[in-house]
Amino acid sequence: MAKSACAPASSPTTQGNDANKQARGFLVHRLNSMDSAWTALDVVTQTMVQKAIADPKTVDLEKLSDAIVEQSLKDLSFCKDAGRMCYAVVQAEAQKAATSAFRRNLLTRLQQEFTGREQTRSHSVQEWVCLVTFICSIFDYIKVNDAPLVALVDPIYDCLFRLAQPDALMNEEEVDCLVVQLHRVGEQLEQTNSQRMNQLFYLLRDGFLLQEDLSSMTRLLLLEILEFRASGWTLTNTAHKYYYSEVVD
Amino acid sequence: MSAYQKYRYENDCKPDENRNKGTSRWTHCRKRGADGNLRKSLEVGEPDKCSQSSRRQESFTTPESEGPVSRVKNWGDEVEAEEMRSNVQRDMHRYRRRILEADFPQRDRKISSGSSDSRDSKDSKESPAKGDIETDETTLIRRQKQINYGKNTLAYDRYIKEVPKLMRQPGVHPKTPNKFKKYSRRSWDQQIKLWRVKLHAWDPPAEEGSDLQQIEEIDLGEIMEFELDVECSADTEFQCPTSSGALLSLAEDSFAGTPKKMMKIEDAEMS
Repeated sequence: MAKSACAPASSPTTQGNDANKQARGFLVHRLNSMDSAWTALDVVTQTMVQKAIADPKTVDLEKLSDAIVEQSLKDLSFCKDAGRMCYAVVQAEAQKAATSAFRRNLLTRLQQEFTGREQTRSHSVQEWVCLVTFICSIFDYIKVNDAPLVALVDPIYDCLFRLAQPDALMNEEEVDCLVVQLHRVGEQLEQTNSQRMNQLFYLLRDGFLLQEDLSSMTRLLLLEILEFRASGWTLTNTAHKYYYSEVVD
Repeated sequence: MSAYQKYRYENDCKPDENRNKGTSRWTHCRKRGADGNLRKSLEVGEPDKCSQSSRRQESFTTPESEGPVSRVKNWGDEVEAEEMRSNVQRDMHRYRRRILEADFPQRDRKISSGSSDSRDSKDSKESPAKGDIETDETTLIRRQKQINYGKNTLAYDRYIKEVPKLMRQPGVHPKTPNKFKKYSRRSWDQQIKLWRVKLHAWDPPAEEGSDLQQIEEIDLGEIMEFELDVECSADTEFQCPTSSGALLSLAEDSFAGTPKKMMKIEDAEMS
């Protein structure tokens, strides 16, 4: 099964491997698709969010944060961008009411979900993936005096380590989640704790090299993230061309 | 048992912690299981994870903590504490810049060390010499919390709406104590107390009795609540921003008639 995935140097679009082609098509598609956390929300919650931003004192912020966490666990497209919406509410509350009840309750709920993550994973991998995505989205957007939420750094690492385990690498869903989060917040995480990032990448290299039954897609995703980090959390032009060019038959 | 070992034991005994159950990949690194019994031997095959685990735990014994810090922290608390810390740091930088600007209005003026040519006694009263500001973080945070309590009142809100800063007359109008100046603990606490008493003049009109009576009632309350403030540790004071947005601690409510609103988290006010 070990077909060569190396494209001939002359042309990035010719490759001898169908699975590779398909995987790269997926990457391109993901790059192009728009996430919309907003439309994923039901009308009631949408209204609550708008009201909360306009006048935080008129809304039950606890209820709102609960509703948002609930939604995040069900809908992956929502949680990718939900952090931005949450930050808007956090800032509105800070500026207009000088309180932080929304952020506090959000974090408390998240922490509860985080604590029960292994159970969540065993009954629904989708929910688990949503949880990780949402936590990372919160970390990405919500800042405290322009600094990231340090309290979330170790928990996020815990999640990523879990996703890098051999059993998780077997699920493309989980691998996809892992690499997406590393793209989004990897650099920030490394700045706060580089030691754990190094350890995480030991696991990723091991997985890539040693785990025999990984799918083509998984190997592609892992290779890309390995290169991405090695280039300083960016891709060289040629690498970008390889992974993200429009796939031509 | 060393303090370090003690946290691991306490942590392992928490019944609601998932990671203490056998299924978690960390558990084989723990010295004791959730039931408190010593585990057999550590798994030899996973030294990395064990060292990860022990490295993680060590990160919680920060020099600033007063003692063993529970490994399981509440994210909400952590974020708020971090916010308070960074606010105080930011305030300190702003204050330092302000002081420097006040001392050296003309930037190209040469400063001769040791000579007191440009600084007379008036200046040093107004702005502390560069070395003499309060920088201890614990103190600053404690002082900031006390200031926040005062600013989190309807009286303060009404006061700042009624009297713009420029119109404030010293002596007549209350002025927030400057947390960056060096004061003894007693001196600072006294300043806070007097400041808060003065603020009561702007309390919203209440149903019971005259203003005078109100002030007298509250005066007693102020002293009692002040004492409580002083004796409580910094941490217990700041449990206030509960998730229900509840008012300040019960003691403050029952003793002092001061109307309060939801807890303010930060205030960079330095007037």
